[in-house]
Amino acid sequence: MSDVPFRNPGWAGNTGEFDLTEEQVRGDDFIGQRPLHGGHSSVSGTMPYMLVERNPQAGLFEGEYQERLEKILTRYPKKRAALLPVLGMVQELRGYVSPESMDRVAELLDLSPAYVRGVTTFYTMYNKRPVGRHLVQVCTNISCNLCGADEVLAAFLRYTDIELGATSEDGDFTVIEAECLAACGFPTCVQINSRYFENVTPADVPKIIEHLRAQVAGSD
Amino acid sequence: MAELVTLTIDGQEVAVPRGTTILEAAKQIGKQVPHYCYHPGMSSPAMCRLCLVEVEGAPNSMPSCVTAVMEDQVVHTESKQALENRRGVLEFYLVNHPLDCPICDMSGECDLQDYVHAEGRDRGRSDEPKRVFGRDDFGGDVLFYGDRCVMCTRCVRFMNEVEQDQRLTVVERGNRSVIDTFFEEGLEGTHWHGNIVDICPVGALVSKEFLHKARAWDLERTSSICPSCSQGCNIELHTRDNLIQRIKPRENLEVNGWWMCDFGRHNHEWVNRGGQLEDPLVRGPDGVIGAAGWRDALGDLLQHVRGVGGARVKAVATPFASNENLGTLAELVDALGGGDMVYRSVRAEDEIVLKGFPTLARRKDLAPNTSGAELIGFTRVGDDQAAGGLENIATYDGIIIIMGDELSDQEANFGKEAALFVYMGDQQSPAAENAHFVLPVSTFAEEEGSFTNVAGRVQCFSPALKASGMARPAWMILGALAAELNKGDAPRSAADAFSSLASRVEAFAGITYGDLGTRGVVVNETYVLSEN
Repeated sequence: MSDVPFRNPGWAGNTGEFDLTEEQVRGDDFIGQRPLHGGHSSVSGTMPYMLVERNPQAGLFEGEYQERLEKILTRYPKKRAALLPVLGMVQELRGYVSPESMDRVAELLDLSPAYVRGVTTFYTMYNKRPVGRHLVQVCTNISCNLCGADEVLAAFLRYTDIELGATSEDGDFTVIEAECLAACGFPTCVQINSRYFENVTPADVPKIIEHLRAQVAGSD
Repeated sequence: MAELVTLTIDGQEVAVPRGTTILEAAKQIGKQVPHYCYHPGMSSPAMCRLCLVEVEGAPNSMPSCVTAVMEDQVVHTESKQALENRRGVLEFYLVNHPLDCPICDMSGECDLQDYVHAEGRDRGRSDEPKRVFGRDDFGGDVLFYGDRCVMCTRCVRFMNEVEQDQRLTVVERGNRSVIDTFFEEGLEGTHWHGNIVDICPVGALVSKEFLHKARAWDLERTSSICPSCSQGCNIELHTRDNLIQRIKPRENLEVNGWWMCDFGRHNHEWVNRGGQLEDPLVRGPDGVIGAAGWRDALGDLLQHVRGVGGARVKAVATPFASNENLGTLAELVDALGGGDMVYRSVRAEDEIVLKGFPTLARRKDLAPNTSGAELIGFTRVGDDQAAGGLENIATYDGIIIIMGDELSDQEANFGKEAALFVYMGDQQSPAAENAHFVLPVSTFAEEEGSFTNVAGRVQCFSPALKASGMARPAWMILGALAAELNKGDAPRSAADAFSSLASRVEAFAGITYGDLGTRGVVVNETYVLSEN
């Protein structure tokens, strides 16, 4: 088991459901690139919390992504139903869904751009603006709030030295509030990119940030 | 007829076809259940929560706009439960509403204002600051006031289901949700978006053209027929200060449903323009034209007609004239010994079909009564810009009668050779310089009459404005002349003129003016409505 620099007792043990050990889930093994051929949501635990470097100018639906798109389209009776995963793919590539991306997706799926905008803005998990390499989402909903989420949020803002919702100058961090992350048993829950950090206290925050900075440095 | 279901609403028994909603059934007994999101011409999302009614035996209040009636159902629309629900829902609607009724165009015809006044609380209990969206220009004729919006999404559904050009959407969610287009895309280029202003139950979507122009309670509302194309949409003319302030569609499921196109809606400045003819003008023996009273003008004209004697008539009418006017002109031409009757009209290249209501379209014929003119015996001449085609009339030496056609493409020497040249219109025309008589007639907005639409439906309209000066309906003037020549009775009303038309023209036989009612009568089903 790798040396995780912060307390995270939220691991529920190997349920046998997936072929994953605690080390695999917590360790660095899964930090890296998401398999480009897609994957079932039930393996979201295997998703990296360090996204690959995103390029807002990346071409959409080219090469491997074109293949993934075609695969997604086969899953649904209507093109329109593929909207959510396709938007997800856009975000994975570019880091956020820009108006131009919405227009492109609308064209691709034979939808009106206005409809795509409506759907994109309805779901808070699509970023409508560029975000940092680490998108820190602190749950401030009721359970977390009762256990001190506000202090955790304040600590993240203090140690990253940015305003709520803003991105740090080096492009490493964006800190936002999130509504319930469905981890009420382990407050405060913080989602950083695709991975959950549970039972976070203000004291954990510097260690987490240090760890994340190391990730960025390591990727250079 | 579908099977009938009998139920009780507020103690009254009512029988309606199976599948009818409670809301529609309540309408049958005159009960209007308050609602925002429901509109009979579109799908019902049941999201405004205002039309909830108490249904005995049901565990909760039911949304009456989507709940189908059931046999022996007992419904209460005004019970304590229903009233409390509405009071509660309305209080929530006002949490973020700016209450800017004094400067809101919808004030006086606003559903939120009406319902809160009737059933709402006298004051809200929310202490929170109101969220502010401000306004947004949607392009076209539409301005959006986000703070007034009640999120019924009627406009979104209209663009989606009826116009079928999904330009509008709900952006964001929860209390941040707001109606918007795709960033700067706007509604430009759509042809029916004026309807979203009509169906907006509050003042969130307002017309730029009508913005701050008049208060709803100052407007006179007159039933009329849209003169901008041959579809014959049923409309209301909203007038103040003897001017048309705006045009709204009037429901007629067999013609236009609840809708009308933007072209017709905004095409009314030609009625409002100044400089109308006010007095009959008569050319004296000295060749100078001067104003006269009707008695003198018609007396002179009659004398002149008798003096000319025997010459065939060439008559040019406008298809903006009513059946009555055209019919009376035809009668006069007959009385004068017959002649040629022509009309000119503007034709557009395409029909603009409302996809969600395909029997409604902005027709190619941009005049309301070309069908009537054809039935009465007028022939179309000239090109699609309503120009040309009068070459043999311009230099004709017999009797020329112009009714309504402004001859804007004609030279000043038009009718110079004519033995008798009568020009009837609401505006002076440069080409009428040689007219012996210039007679002021009223426009469709100033008189009573009927138009025959593209499908042969004869529909009547009422006078909304006072004609300028001594202008009179053309049927009154022509009818008086024809009566003198025929030794008959002059028509005293549009109904008289219509019955004389019915007795002379086969297509209109057997119909009286009273039969037209508010829905019209179909006289000639020769035109098949295009499905595009």
